[in-house]
Amino acid sequence: MKYSTYELLQASADLSIFDFISIGPKGPIHKRIAFQETIIPEIYNLSFGDINKIGEYDDFSVSDNGDRDVILATVANIVEIYLMKYPNRWISFEGSTRERTRLYRMAIGINLKELSVKFDIYTQVGGRLVPFLKNMPVDNFVVTSKKP
Amino acid sequence: MNKKPIKYYSALFGKEVIVTINDSLAKPEGKVLAPNKLAAANKRLSKLKELPKQ
Repeated sequence: MKYSTYELLQASADLSIFDFISIGPKGPIHKRIAFQETIIPEIYNLSFGDINKIGEYDDFSVSDNGDRDVILATVANIVEIYLMKYPNRWISFEGSTRERTRLYRMAIGINLKELSVKFDIYTQVGGRLVPFLKNMPVDNFVVTSKKP
Repeated sequence: MNKKPIKYYSALFGKEVIVTINDSLAKPEGKVLAPNKLAAANKRLSKLKELPKQ
C-alpha cells in the first residue's frame, strides 16, 4: 500500500502497547494503541487514543492534526506487526463514535484488496462473524492473519 | 529505562519497520486502558457463538 506511516514506533516488550507521535499543524501529539484481552481468549480488542500532558489516556479525543491517512496507515502497520508476533490471535476494533467506525469502514473498503492479502477481515453480525465486503454496514471489525 | 530496537518487514507497506521496545510502556498491574471501550467490546463479543474456521 502506498501510504506513509509514522516510523518512530515504541512498544512494550509483549507488543500490547504501541506509542507514536502524530506530527501536524497542532504540533506533536502522543498517540497510543493498546491490545487488550477480551472475554474470548483468542480475541484482543484494539483501542486507540491520545496521551495528554498529564499522561492520561483518552480514546474519545479528536486531535484533528491533518494526518488522518498517515495515522490510519500506522494503525494498520501496527496490527500487521502484532499479528506477526501472535498469528493465531484475532483483533477486534470499532470507532469510539459511529462516525469513526464509518471512517474505518471507508478506509478498509478502499484498501480491501491489499489488506485481504495479509488479513481475513470480518464484521460481527449477531452471533456470527461474516466476511467484510466493501460498503456493508458494520458496527465493528474482527481481523486475523491469513493462514497459509 | 531499557530500549531495544526490533526490525520487522512489513509486506503491507513493502518496507522495514523498526520498533523500539521500551520497558516503561509495560501496562501497570491491574490497570485497564479504555475500560468503557473494552466493556463495550466484551458486550458485543459475548454474543459471538464461534470463530470462523480458517
